[in-house]
Amino acid sequence: MNDKPENRVDKIVAGLLRGRRLKLRGGDAEEKEAITAAARLAGMRQGPQRMHPAFRNRLARELEQAPREGWMTRRAALVAGLGLAAGAAGGYIGRAVETRPVEAAVRPIEPLNGRWIDVAALKDLTEGQGKRVTAGSVGAFVFRRGDGVTAVSSICSHLPCELWWDGRGEHLVCPCHPARFTSQGHSATSYDLPSLNPVHARVTAEGRVEVLGTE
Amino acid sequence: MTAQEQPGGPGEVVELPAAPRATDIALNELELVYAFIYARVGNRADAEDLTQQVALKAIPRLRQGAPASAIRGYLFATARSVLGGFWSTRLGLSEAELREDLALPVPTTPPSDEGVEIVQQILAQLSDNYRRVLELRFLHGYSLKEVAAEMHSTVGAIKVMQLRALRAAARLRPLE
Repeated sequence: MNDKPENRVDKIVAGLLRGRRLKLRGGDAEEKEAITAAARLAGMRQGPQRMHPAFRNRLARELEQAPREGWMTRRAALVAGLGLAAGAAGGYIGRAVETRPVEAAVRPIEPLNGRWIDVAALKDLTEGQGKRVTAGSVGAFVFRRGDGVTAVSSICSHLPCELWWDGRGEHLVCPCHPARFTSQGHSATSYDLPSLNPVHARVTAEGRVEVLGTE
Repeated sequence: MTAQEQPGGPGEVVELPAAPRATDIALNELELVYAFIYARVGNRADAEDLTQQVALKAIPRLRQGAPASAIRGYLFATARSVLGGFWSTRLGLSEAELREDLALPVPTTPPSDEGVEIVQQILAQLSDNYRRVLELRFLHGYSLKEVAAEMHSTVGAIKVMQLRALRAAARLRPLE
């Protein structure tokens, strides 16, 4: 009986109305719309909330102790949308932001206790076209290069969003912001974004494509 | 520094205002971030955890003397990413479904204090029964039993109505 969606959602609503944390479980995804609406209604009903003084003090202490990189990097500015705003603001923000060069070398993904995972048959891959694969916890796009393959991480190097393959434009595209990458993983926009992490991939004697992933 | 870069002429004393510390500015901006997150997760414990994550991720990267607008932009970009991760982990929401949250604009002023009025405006777009059940539950804090008595119905029927009303409310634009 408790598995009925109306019971699950009511349990979540009752918890929210008592000020409790959202305790969700796998099957709740089917009612994600109702649950997020309940959370928003519960959040809005008391008007905008301010931080509890004890939490604010704790946060202040943690901020004082936090290791400080000292500069807002260009990448950080781009997250904030400031890269685009800088031109419009007459360069004001541009001056406020350090344009530290982005590191050139990006390390390949080498999981501890990595394992080669079969992800596809080589014959099923089209030359130069990306195919999204999963090797345990490693998500990657693999590309056929003749009789070989290359692979890059499927996570954007800027915001941690899942990229998608735009076959027409032949780019990996980030859904979260205007960033594109070549099939080699290099940034294809004017922003100096770090390249995507390479992922180890190989073709077996049987013509199977394997990616170094996790269990 | 070359002579051309001196702020004043010879003998002139230029008083520069002391720049507020980035941490102080950020703490004030984090009040907005907290309100933004609380309005989406609906409870203090999760809102505090997520605000803390935003602060610890973003603050070390903000430079001393950065303008408040830059700090706010970066904090909210981080908040959207952290909220996305929260819902993604809890509900398995895909990136496409998170786009609503990711696309939310950065607030430029503190939110108004009219929570109940805003909820009522949103609920006014629902049918009478749906509006009533959500008003009684969320604004008046009625139990299901009390709502059932008020609406001359059964607890089971009210539970189903509550679920359908929430699904309908999710599709209303101001909730996005």
